[in-house]
Amino acid sequence: MKLAKIGVLGVIAVLMFAACSPSPGASGAAGGKTIKIGTELPMSGAETANGEPTANGVKLAIKQANAKNAIPGYTLDINVQDDAVNGAHDPQQGAANLHTLVADTSVIGVVGPFNSSVAKVEIPISNAAGLLQCSPANTNTGLTYPPDSLQYRPNNPDKINYIRLAAPDSIQGPAGADYTYTDLGAKSVYILDDTEAFGVGVGDSFSARFTELGGTVTKRDSAPKSTTDYTPLFTAAAAAKPAAVYLAGTTPTGMGLALKQGRTVAGFETIPFVGPDGVADLGPGGTTGATITVAGQAAHDVHGTVAGVHDLPSGSTFIADYTAEYGKAPGAYSAIAYACAQVIIANAAKAIAASTTDLAALREAVRAAAVVADNKYDTVIGPVSFDKNGDITTPYMSFYKVDLTAEGGKGGWVYVKQQAFTDPNK
Amino acid sequence: MNPGRRRSLRISAFVAGLLVVSYLVLGIQQFQNFLTLGAVYALVALGYTMVYGIIELINFAHGDVFMVGAFVSMWIMTVPLGLLDRPIDNPLNLGVILLIVVVATMVVMGLTGVIIERFAYRPLRHAPRLAPLITAIGVSFILQNIIQALFSSSPISVPQIFPRVKLDIAGGSIGVLNIFMLVVALLLMVGLQLFVSRTRLGRAMRSTAQDREAAELMGVDINQTIAITFFIAAALAGAAGVIQGLYFGSIQFNLGFFAGLKAFTAAVLGGIGNTTGAAIGGFIIAFIEVFAAHLGLARWSEVAVFTVLILVLVFRPSGILGQALGERA
Repeated sequence: MKLAKIGVLGVIAVLMFAACSPSPGASGAAGGKTIKIGTELPMSGAETANGEPTANGVKLAIKQANAKNAIPGYTLDINVQDDAVNGAHDPQQGAANLHTLVADTSVIGVVGPFNSSVAKVEIPISNAAGLLQCSPANTNTGLTYPPDSLQYRPNNPDKINYIRLAAPDSIQGPAGADYTYTDLGAKSVYILDDTEAFGVGVGDSFSARFTELGGTVTKRDSAPKSTTDYTPLFTAAAAAKPAAVYLAGTTPTGMGLALKQGRTVAGFETIPFVGPDGVADLGPGGTTGATITVAGQAAHDVHGTVAGVHDLPSGSTFIADYTAEYGKAPGAYSAIAYACAQVIIANAAKAIAASTTDLAALREAVRAAAVVADNKYDTVIGPVSFDKNGDITTPYMSFYKVDLTAEGGKGGWVYVKQQAFTDPNK
Repeated sequence: MNPGRRRSLRISAFVAGLLVVSYLVLGIQQFQNFLTLGAVYALVALGYTMVYGIIELINFAHGDVFMVGAFVSMWIMTVPLGLLDRPIDNPLNLGVILLIVVVATMVVMGLTGVIIERFAYRPLRHAPRLAPLITAIGVSFILQNIIQALFSSSPISVPQIFPRVKLDIAGGSIGVLNIFMLVVALLLMVGLQLFVSRTRLGRAMRSTAQDREAAELMGVDINQTIAITFFIAAALAGAAGVIQGLYFGSIQFNLGFFAGLKAFTAAVLGGIGNTTGAAIGGFIIAFIEVFAAHLGLARWSEVAVFTVLILVLVFRPSGILGQALGERA
């Protein structure tokens, strides 16, 4: 009994010691000061395919910036936060993570979040703290477009603290509609959304554009991510004989399963399924949680849009560098996340060159510089600038389709084309 | 006519009515979806009701036993049998493989059920009602987290070994897989009824359910009887797990939570403790869900299902089949 008690105390003591001792890598290079870029992404479970390659893009940007001594006298580090709970992104967890990042005074900017539903709860927190967030992947229109965007800045409505490099849904949905109607030649479509902010938004804008082009939306359904059986939905939708399906949502919120089960229903065996970037995760078959892994052999004739550029500027060594560092190809948002980190680093370097040393002032300088109209950033995805709302001035859409014979038979996404889009409503 | 005869006639009329109404309302295509989903819920609901019938425990871990069954069947298919995500066209090979998978999963899950009963519920058999209920919730979390640790929290694909062949019946195209699954589920249900009503062990189960002490005085081995009940309940959930994987294609560690709640609702709906009622309840819940999806109201289906739970508990706590507690177990 006594021995057991001593043993337990010993274990507790060891754990406490381990918790208190400084973690390796936290104390930067000798002599220099350390500032950090935070990442706030879904990193685990079904979301691994989304968050991990994106965070790796930021890690690579930091590593290369440190190697080049991008900010003289400072070492850059990373503060990684994971907003996935039970394998799916979680707004509450995102909010908690953002409070953690705000509290870490050495964090000068955050790359993330990945999901629009998470951004909706995070932007007010970073707005109150005056911390810049750069999302590589959020596409919900209202996040940046006034008047909706004002509700996310209750504390400092005039301070833009959130910028993004992804094209908003008001572009992604219509781009998917153009592709479905013109490139795939489908004149009627069945739309299924996942009831989330992203899914409903992109579904609505797809629907509006598809109808405008002269196509017919035969049926629109909403099914929450707790749905396990999509067959009755597809069975009901089959009656109107749609020529294509638009999966307005993400694979972790059920669209992968909907694809797999939808394929078994008569009328849906061979028609194209089109999805936004939540479906076109670009993960090869076998990647944990990727669309092709979830849907298996049902993932044929699947097309998707990604709200960013595919072709990097000529002469870019990004893909080679990334592959050398991580041993696999970059994800859909790796380069874009790298560019987000570059924007933050460039702003920090400028402020420090102008002899800003106080961490709070540095944080504010990084935020304020991002939306100055003539600030152009030379990034890995090409020259980038932001408009007064925090949106990228020239958004690009890329189109992909699944080839089940790619990646040595495991299946993968192959690039189709990319196109610069402007928002038809702007 | 004796009351038992009248009761079974009433049940048959009810089932026939449910089938006719659902067929007319849903049409042939949705009717098959309804029957398939109903088979899964019914098999899981049977386990809730059997365990409640015999030890008056609402076994909240039962939905997770079903989930573990789906993972065990997936593991058996992919690791020892090494199956790929391809249909097996030879009916003989397919039959042998399905037999192996179903039987092995049922045995593994049955034993799991016995182990859970032995270590989590038996020590608390004479404790206040709340104590085993809380351990049941604990077991539920343990099972979920074991599976999450072993297989990750992502959805896992189950090899689709059953060819998606369809037959043209009654103006619709009906999946052979749907028919196969319904037949398996019905055979298991009929087998259970025969076991409970005709065998010595079944009689022991019924007597234990009615009056545990009196049964013990008459020489029934209570521990063995309860263990067998758990074995059967968990084995049926395992069979439902196999169906889930084969038909729905993808399984996840938290699958058992909602499926369990729905099956529990089915058991309450049919009159908890009543096996026939649980099976019928499973089909009613499936009907509500498929009908909601059919109307384009998928996001309301869970509202409808759990409203039914509350309505039944408030207005007809003994379930739609009425007083049947004498026949429970």
